[in-house]
Amino acid sequence: MATLTADRKRALRTELEGMLGRGAVLSDPDELLVYESDGLTLFRALADFVVFPQSAEHVSAVVKLAHREGLPFVARGAGTGLSGGCLPAEGGIVLSLMRMNRVLEVDYDNQLAVVEPGLVNLHLSWKVGPKGYYYAPDPSSQQACTIGGNIANNSGGPHTLKYGVTTNHVLGLEVVMPDGEIVWLGGKTRESQGYDLIGVFVGSEGTFGIATKIVVRILKKPQAVKTVLAVFDEVDQASAAVSEIIARGLVPAAVEMIDQLTIGAVEDAFGCGYPRDAAAALLVELDGLAIGIETQAERIVAACRDSGAREVRTAKDEAERQLLWKGRKSAFGAYGRVSPAYMVMDGVIPRTRLPYVLRRVNEIVDAHGLRVGNVFHAGDGNLHPNILYDPRKPGEEARVVAAGAEIMKVCAEVGGSISGEHGIGLEKADFMPFIFSAADLALMQRLKHAFNPQGLCNPGKVFPTRKSCGEAGAVAYRPHAIEEQGLAQRF
Amino acid sequence: MAHTPLTLRGLSVEGVNQCVHCGLCLAYCPTFSELGTEMDSPRGRIFMIKALAEGRMSLTDPAVEHLSLCLDCRACETACPSGVPYGRLIEAAKAEIERQRPGGAVRRAFRWLNFGVLLGHPKMLRAAAAGLRLYQASGLQALVRRSGLVSRLPGTLSAWEALLPSLPRAVDRAPLPAHIPAEGERRGRVALLTGCVQSVVFGAHNRATARILAKNGYELVVPQAQGCCGALNAHGGDHARALSMAKETIGVFEAARADAVVVNTSGCGAHMKAYGALLADDPAWAGRARRFAAGVQDISELLAKAPLRGPLRPAPMTVTYHDPCHVVHGQKIRKEPRQLLAQVPGLTLVELPEADWCCGSAGIYNLTQPEMAARLLARKVGHVESTGAQAVVTANPGCILQIQQGLRERGRDVAVLHLVEILEKAYGG
Amino acid sequence: MQPAVLEKLRSIVGAPHVLTGVDLSPYVVEGRTPEAAVFPGTVDEVRAVVTLAAESEIPVIAWGGGTAAAAGVAAARAGLVLGLTRLDRVVEHEPGDLTATVEAGRTVAALQATLRERGQWLSLDPPDETRATIGGVFAANASGPRRQLYGTARDLLIGLTVVTAEGAVVRGGGKVVKNVAGYDLPKLFVGSYGTLGIIVECTVKLRPRPDDERLVAVSFDRMKDAGATVRALMASDLIPNAIELLDGASLRALTASAPPAPGAGASAALLVGFDGVPDQVAWQVSELGRLVAATGGRDVREVPAETWPRLARAAAAAFPACAVMRLSVLPTQVADAMEQGGELARGRGMASAWSAHAGVGVVTASLALADGRQDLGVVAAVLREWRGIARGCSGFAVLDTAPLAVKEAVGVWDDAGAAGRIMRRIKEELDPKNVLNPGRFVDSI
Repeated sequence: MATLTADRKRALRTELEGMLGRGAVLSDPDELLVYESDGLTLFRALADFVVFPQSAEHVSAVVKLAHREGLPFVARGAGTGLSGGCLPAEGGIVLSLMRMNRVLEVDYDNQLAVVEPGLVNLHLSWKVGPKGYYYAPDPSSQQACTIGGNIANNSGGPHTLKYGVTTNHVLGLEVVMPDGEIVWLGGKTRESQGYDLIGVFVGSEGTFGIATKIVVRILKKPQAVKTVLAVFDEVDQASAAVSEIIARGLVPAAVEMIDQLTIGAVEDAFGCGYPRDAAAALLVELDGLAIGIETQAERIVAACRDSGAREVRTAKDEAERQLLWKGRKSAFGAYGRVSPAYMVMDGVIPRTRLPYVLRRVNEIVDAHGLRVGNVFHAGDGNLHPNILYDPRKPGEEARVVAAGAEIMKVCAEVGGSISGEHGIGLEKADFMPFIFSAADLALMQRLKHAFNPQGLCNPGKVFPTRKSCGEAGAVAYRPHAIEEQGLAQRF
Repeated sequence: MAHTPLTLRGLSVEGVNQCVHCGLCLAYCPTFSELGTEMDSPRGRIFMIKALAEGRMSLTDPAVEHLSLCLDCRACETACPSGVPYGRLIEAAKAEIERQRPGGAVRRAFRWLNFGVLLGHPKMLRAAAAGLRLYQASGLQALVRRSGLVSRLPGTLSAWEALLPSLPRAVDRAPLPAHIPAEGERRGRVALLTGCVQSVVFGAHNRATARILAKNGYELVVPQAQGCCGALNAHGGDHARALSMAKETIGVFEAARADAVVVNTSGCGAHMKAYGALLADDPAWAGRARRFAAGVQDISELLAKAPLRGPLRPAPMTVTYHDPCHVVHGQKIRKEPRQLLAQVPGLTLVELPEADWCCGSAGIYNLTQPEMAARLLARKVGHVESTGAQAVVTANPGCILQIQQGLRERGRDVAVLHLVEILEKAYGG
Repeated sequence: MQPAVLEKLRSIVGAPHVLTGVDLSPYVVEGRTPEAAVFPGTVDEVRAVVTLAAESEIPVIAWGGGTAAAAGVAAARAGLVLGLTRLDRVVEHEPGDLTATVEAGRTVAALQATLRERGQWLSLDPPDETRATIGGVFAANASGPRRQLYGTARDLLIGLTVVTAEGAVVRGGGKVVKNVAGYDLPKLFVGSYGTLGIIVECTVKLRPRPDDERLVAVSFDRMKDAGATVRALMASDLIPNAIELLDGASLRALTASAPPAPGAGASAALLVGFDGVPDQVAWQVSELGRLVAATGGRDVREVPAETWPRLARAAAAAFPACAVMRLSVLPTQVADAMEQGGELARGRGMASAWSAHAGVGVVTASLALADGRQDLGVVAAVLREWRGIARGCSGFAVLDTAPLAVKEAVGVWDDAGAAGRIMRRIKEELDPKNVLNPGRFVDSI
């Protein structure tokens, strides 16, 4: 990738300002510096420009310019991602979508909303809340993260156990393709014709194009909600309770686990009411019809008690419920109280393997002389071991990375995945061969090529580097015609 | 490699290391919400402060611009799970800006006039107020406003003009007596900070506060020698004068020997509660400052400790409550004012959307950053209109002036009242 | 087909598993006879068959239960039918994980029977469960009335194994319920009608079987009232698992096949399903009664569980021969679209029957072709007008079933617009030689 000369950069800045207006283009290194990371500070990269489009036409114009100049580009929302997914390749253009944050339309009768990508996730629920609706996917960063970012990462959240992840809630997308063309995928109707382009676009981590309008489903708020806090003296008991709940034929809206270290941090932060001396706590939420919810809650309580819970209580009102959830959802940030940095892992395992995998995680982290806090979506088997470290201590970062890779391997070994909701981004690209063969990745690469033939749209993400792929490559692969012609790169 | 604590010219900014870059603060930052630029977000500013302290970055024009655009509303502190002491960090950064980039002669003169002369000397402030009153009473203000002359003033000056409160007559600007006895069963002895600007512009608030305290059984002392607490200086980067003002204030109030120091202006209350941290590095003062700070209470905090003593007269009106930043974020007081309002018979409280968002006043922010202040004010006024309330209740003079101006410009007949004014009405005042 | 290729096929799967000649009659679609039908017994055999077909440039038509064999446009060259019914094992079912991995050729009914033993089910109720295979259901994105609550194939398929056009075995997704590693290949293959790869194994998300389930019918004298009821129902606290709206003709068809059935003689009916614990079901049924009383509903009655599988086919069952079109519209537009479409047909002297998954806006319309004497031009005109209705509702319409001549005149698929170009590029990337089910799909893919 050629570095831009100062003259060229000036000229492009002028051109970008012409498209977007003054105050919508950053190119001063001091201003670009704050865009060098997302929520994961382990990775840093500087763009040539950060621009602030306000419409699909703006985005299209910038993308066409990038296309013409052969400059890489990437869309960025709030920058709360945890895999380095929105980082620029060294140089190129970052399109910040934070000025495209309107709710364009709400159709309550048909239970849908049309929004711009920079809209903060929670703000949609605020908008439709007064009429008794909400937007279901609720990543823990929902107070800051954007729906566009959720689209890129197919974000989940605690309540996705019952309600599904982002992809289950998207009906239509207006997309600026990597060549600048503006295209609608799907629309407002529940079905769309042909291949499920929305299905593949959601979760493509910004490598297929940039969504500029998003049609999402909004749901009726449940008539009743019941939140149960179960306290355990041993982590294994809590793990067992998760399977026990499922085995009794219940599908709660959420089953979250939070361990002792994490409880300490969130109690310091907000005093949410988690017992500090518990080895682990489960936060279980039921929702639905008011009738019958007590019966179901009793089954949850019984499942927890039978698994050894020392205390099981139900949130007495909405305020207590909100406080418990605030603690859960602020947990990552609260680690700042016990450590200057942390790296969050995002493995997924079959939930029946929870006790085994949690033990292995502790062993691995111990062996590296590090500390780990666990707070995660236990019902989905989506682990979040947070390895705490101090980046100012020499060598610690490297140990964290090594421990992280070992944890990912354990997840893969038990038939799990290396990411449940944070995405692959830069961080886990080299772990992809843990769960995918060369043939699997080759097919994904072809899919990417169909959307993004030049590879300028968020390059360097998702796919492993050539070296690590070669190590895993056991499956025969025949080069595709376009590779033979040199049009597509192998990784 | 031993870790050396991060400082900016001696002020610790070690708190930057508590930021884990999670971004949960972003959507709560008014400037980020308006601009969408990371440099104008708490996370971005913390990042810049860290880069400054580490020497990765210098105070270039853009850096000064973005750091100066911070309202210091501290909404990010409320949102932050990690406990980053943002207020202290941004004050250190602003102090550094003042040292390195004091600006041109006009700006320096302006600052000297504000921070050195007016705020430092209550008498000078009163004299200025008298002049101002003359400007208004003579009809000159009306003439100036009609003439369109204002629009030709430089930005900060026209903002000053627009904000000018209608100053009360001299009799209403008169100081409170030094001692006011409690009525009924005595609950305690408290000292009142009358405030520098407050006492001049909103003497009525102080009188209302005094009456309500007396009705509720508090004996009130009003130290006559008190000056400015130094909050505006600290927020404006005038660190040195802020320190000396804090020491003077502590001295004056210690002599009053009260159970608590009561404050009815949010910026002062939040700042005085932070004296402990401000003077932590001064061995002669650290302990005194900590003890003093522990005794500071916002008026709503003190009153909400027990049900208001009756009888209270009905105040049949619909109001909405705006949380001043330095009450809700600076002092984490959210429930208390609402609890007090709920005790007034006949009064209906409608929750204000984004009630805890900065109105743009932010100390002298509306003077130094008139454009952003105007955007935030428009947002606030729009929300006020959406509630249909007859009055906005709040608890800080800056907010009152700002919101009044916003409503005036939109031609809205909505009163803006201090919490103590509503309560005083209920007591028949 | 060249004898040498046939010989190779026999050597790959064993002679008894290769059909030719008269044995191919079940695989004749719209008068086109395939060159052979081959039934591999392992994934490796599938891979070998596809590789051979690709080398020999013979189109490959994946075939499960054959329930959607006539969907889309039949290939000009019928090629090789690749039957998957021998791949019918349940590979893994871990009740504690609420997941199962199953080979593509197992029928839905057989899978559900296995799951039922452990109190679980795959929450998908496509038509013809005893014939439809899991692989076929995902490839055709088939669904049924309970999609109202449980979603469709795309919401349930969490992992799959496919054999690509070049004979590579590729896995997408995984066996965990939440997974964002890599691109979402399961979504890509759902509803791809065998044009991108041969699905050989699926991993699905399961649910515990509800304790209780009831189906309630409500009759209406006016379609408009039924539409208003759907709206009220969606805005209520009730959580139905199905909201089926039938017009008079569909209702009569449903009634005729299984008396006693809901309110014969009504001009519209809603069939609403509820499941959950018994208390919840009972409460919802009574609430529904209260709700419809205010919107013109009458004759509220519970109908037997056997009615469920016939619901989706009610419109098509109204006539001995018909063209069936599926319209996708917004939920609030369903009743209007049904009324308007029926009138358009009547205006041209033709009978039609309508039904809908009303809560999700999926409408099925059948146009009577009873005696074959209908003017092709009129039939095509009505179907085009119906498509116009769907487009007017910012939706689209697909001609599911019709004689080839009608399909050719009207077009099976709706205009895919700019998205069609992306689909075409995907097809070219994944199947550059155009071996898999060529010409069948949208945009002539």
